[in-house]
Amino acid sequence: MSTPQETAVSLEGLTVRYGKSTACEDVSLSIARGAVYALLGRNGAGKSSLVRCLLGQQKPSAGRALLFGRGVWSERTALMARVGVVPEEPDAPPAMNALQLSDFCRRLYPRWNQKEVEDRLARFGVSVRNSFGRLSKGEKGEVMLALALGHGPELLVLDDPTLGLDLVARKALYEDLVGELADRGTTVLITTHDLSGIEGIATRVGILKEGRLVLDEDAETLKSRFRRIRYGNQITETRSAYGTELDAFEAVKVKVRGWGVDAVVSNYNDLSFERFRSTDGVVDAEVAPMSLEEIFLAVAGESSAEKAAETPIAKGGPR
Amino acid sequence: MRALRVDPADSTPIWSQIEEGIRRLVASRALAPGAAVPSVRDLARELSINPATVAKAYQRLADSGVLTVRRGEGTYVSDTPPALPRGERARVLKDGATRYASLAVTVGAGADEASHELQSAWKQFRDGAKGEKR
Repeated sequence: MSTPQETAVSLEGLTVRYGKSTACEDVSLSIARGAVYALLGRNGAGKSSLVRCLLGQQKPSAGRALLFGRGVWSERTALMARVGVVPEEPDAPPAMNALQLSDFCRRLYPRWNQKEVEDRLARFGVSVRNSFGRLSKGEKGEVMLALALGHGPELLVLDDPTLGLDLVARKALYEDLVGELADRGTTVLITTHDLSGIEGIATRVGILKEGRLVLDEDAETLKSRFRRIRYGNQITETRSAYGTELDAFEAVKVKVRGWGVDAVVSNYNDLSFERFRSTDGVVDAEVAPMSLEEIFLAVAGESSAEKAAETPIAKGGPR
Repeated sequence: MRALRVDPADSTPIWSQIEEGIRRLVASRALAPGAAVPSVRDLARELSINPATVAKAYQRLADSGVLTVRRGEGTYVSDTPPALPRGERARVLKDGATRYASLAVTVGAGADEASHELQSAWKQFRDGAKGEKR
């Protein structure tokens, strides 16, 4: 029985250092049971280190990771029995086929559901008789997913998964999966830099940037406060010197283009926009909602080094 | 859940229509505390929508304690579904009112006309909620 207070995952000040470089810096977050949490970050943002700590494969330099309220590092074996993982690099003995792999896993888990694994592979259209080594990358991911769900885990971790053949197939796969897991009360953590297929299924989103969690928010709240605003500016003479008209907003990113200004704001609301569009000199103001992918690119798109090289025009950060 | 309808043409996202719809059914006791609600997949099939959309609505309802997921059994209305906390309710009302006021100003409606529309919408909902009772 799950209550709203129960958390599946919590990280408390998690820090991972390798020598002088820091992979994760003081990351704290919690994932409620039943949530579909998308942890986003570009390559090298610290996702893999974070997941390794979460799965008890690595001891954090500071802070700790908890699953279902228990410390992962000290209770790894018991906790991992409640978790299913689809690893970043699908890895299994190449000569074994999916049936043999499933048979092998069955011996490790008391509650193994062989029929469910086979049914799922049939739905994915993956041949259970082809050896693992001969499957495509997407198929390997699907075998891993079927196996990860074989013991009815309470938490499913999809670590930068490659699933489905194309965007449409992947989206359908995710949608069905999320529906099924919601009925079971299974929590999902997806880490990725590729948002195709994630849009619409994540209930909560976190963004890691250079080891720091720069954003951790309900997916819908996030989408409601981010907007792209485009407008012309008739007052400013030099195009790069526009100024105070955007002051009512937190502008995460501002670009001056040939036709005018293109800004991403993180605290949009209709009233401020109405006031903004009637500001002297502002013409043809348009506002457009943003996809999760666009928000991710705006928040995590540039590293601080890349940003420093650019003209310092952005006012304020994402928070 | 025949009383739950979604309108794809409505500008309110479908997950939100489901969330609000179930909240209303629970508030009006059309769905009693402890009652079973359809599974995510069944409701998605019934409404011909994407299961992830229903899952999102259910997750939000579970988060706020309106629904309870019992692992391996199904999803139920909580035994004591909470009313929105006061502060939260005030905030939600204010947000909605601001949006409505902004819309009214945009189409050039006066305060009287806007309040009149609000009153009649209110009435319509009241009657609708009664109709949903078994």
